[in-house]
Amino acid sequence: MKILIVEDEQELMKSMVSYLRSENFLCEEAPDYKTARQKIEMFSYDCILLDVTLPDENGFLLLKELKENQKTDGIIVISAKNSIQDRIMGLNLGADDYLTKPFHLSELNARILAVIRRRHFQGQQVLVFNELVIDLAAKTVSVNNKPVDLTRKEYDLLIYLAYNKNRVVSKNAIAEHLSGDEAEIFSNYDFIYSHMKNLKKKLQQAGSKEYIRSIYGMGYKFEF
Amino acid sequence: MRLNNKTIRNYLFFSSVIFILTIPVFYVVVRRVLLNAVDHSLKIQLQEIRSNLNEIHSQQELSAWSRLDKDIALSPTDRPAKDRLYSVNHFSPKHREQEPFREIAGNITVEGQLYQLIIRSSLIENEDLLGSILSVQIGMLIILTGGMLWINQRVSKRLWQPFYVALRNMQTFELNKHTDLSFKTSTTDEFNELNKAIQNLFSRSSELYLQQKEFTENASHEMQTPLAIFQSKLELLMQTTPISEEQANLINTLDETNRRIIKLNKSLLLLTKIENNQYQTIEKIEIVPLCQRLIQQFLVHAESKRLIIHQRFEESFTLPVNSTLIEILLGNLLSNAIRYNRENGEIVISTAKNSLTIENTGAFSPLHPERIFDRFHKQTGSAGSEDSTGLGLAIVKNICTLYGYKISYSFDNGWHFFRVYFPSRILTESKNTLAAQ
Repeated sequence: MKILIVEDEQELMKSMVSYLRSENFLCEEAPDYKTARQKIEMFSYDCILLDVTLPDENGFLLLKELKENQKTDGIIVISAKNSIQDRIMGLNLGADDYLTKPFHLSELNARILAVIRRRHFQGQQVLVFNELVIDLAAKTVSVNNKPVDLTRKEYDLLIYLAYNKNRVVSKNAIAEHLSGDEAEIFSNYDFIYSHMKNLKKKLQQAGSKEYIRSIYGMGYKFEF
Repeated sequence: MRLNNKTIRNYLFFSSVIFILTIPVFYVVVRRVLLNAVDHSLKIQLQEIRSNLNEIHSQQELSAWSRLDKDIALSPTDRPAKDRLYSVNHFSPKHREQEPFREIAGNITVEGQLYQLIIRSSLIENEDLLGSILSVQIGMLIILTGGMLWINQRVSKRLWQPFYVALRNMQTFELNKHTDLSFKTSTTDEFNELNKAIQNLFSRSSELYLQQKEFTENASHEMQTPLAIFQSKLELLMQTTPISEEQANLINTLDETNRRIIKLNKSLLLLTKIENNQYQTIEKIEIVPLCQRLIQQFLVHAESKRLIIHQRFEESFTLPVNSTLIEILLGNLLSNAIRYNRENGEIVISTAKNSLTIENTGAFSPLHPERIFDRFHKQTGSAGSEDSTGLGLAIVKNICTLYGYKISYSFDNGWHFFRVYFPSRILTESKNTLAAQ
């Protein structure tokens, strides 16, 4: 999987590359519009992470050009502006997703995977972990071919952890992922614990191995 | 008192004084002039009589002359006296009243006999004349003063017109609203200078205000990137192995703190955006379904505290408002009601004709009714405050100000009430009035 990261902040770029590399992504870096353009012309990518504010040009211009040239790369727009106009503009110009700074790397990873799956594996979107099978299209989970009845939040939680498998996902990232803007209002994470408890219990009762592990109250890790 | 009335008051005062002073003075002067004229003519008459005395040759002739003329009295005397003038009243049988007369008394000698001759002149016509002159004078003074007042009023109004325009401009001037001020150029230099000074003041304060707002917005935006870097490094730090519990706890605290900074930053950005009026799309939002949706969203948090939420929607109405802002407004109030509640507490959300009330159980002492809406005002020591940004209610207040809503806080017996009043002219009543649930 090839990913192009268009981001002018060196340190943020490094972080993204470092996190995504372990997912077997091949990351290429472009610190500005010019470099990004050259790379896009020469290669095609599974996903392009596009920062809107670039030193030499507005990122939206690149997005426009990509769509005009009918490139099929998946695009996630990253912006420091959490404005609805920007979001709408990005999505209207053909971006697959929109992410606001500051974001969690685990969230970014999950979004990239979702974009790539939507674009490349139509119909066969299944995650398999031995006895545990997650059908992303049907949004169902089964253990040893027996379906497990999960609530919407429990399912979201499982997918999120599975997308970021073998990495610690912080409580904040989970809270934000599950509740969106609400997480900004509430700092009470009790609801995560209860969702997590129920999810683990249901999977265990269905005969699944314990894949999800709590890491010293810092976060959770799906180990496979 | 208006400026114009003040000037007119001075004019009125001055004219009244002049009135009061001039009328007696005028009366006295005119009277004196008239009297002098009468005296003069009496003296001339006496002189003429004296010079014509040689035409009288006998006592009979003299008495006949004096009898014919009613204005002459003649009596023999032996004491010579100087001529003298005096005023006297005589009863007039014609008018049945005392009439004023001016008389001159002098001696004449006819045929060796000394006589005292009195010539009189009635003053009644003079008095009448005096009256007429006075009334004409008073009338003219009144017309003059009235005219002056009227002209003054009209002229002042026109003259001060630029001043009132400037005043209105200043009254309607709002820093956070970009108003185009129109000053008329006046022919009066002072007003032009005043207008120039006001315009300078306005543009300078607007500029400063804009700069300050821009600074907040830019600062918040600029913070996003370092915060993003910090957060990403923390996440990478979490992935390092082996990790001890001590390290994990430290990372956790850093992550928590970072989240708070991010939250604070976002709230500040939101505040500036509201003030900059960047949420301009207005939709018609029905209030009750929105409340119900928010309650549903927050239910998890309410349940974790075992709170009971009562919904008493007696009225439903539609507001023309930006959907994001009204969600933030109600969301902040509702989340506060949950966050500052006690275990097993209660929340009541109700609507009335033009208001929405969120009441909740919580601390047993009232909050400061005004200061709670200030930025960074935190109720110390209350449960749930340790994580507060101190901006939630400031944001609520700002949204209310933006749309002209009124928000009030009250406390009664352990219950905290937050009530938002919507101006009734903007409300459209929903067709389906909801029964109490």
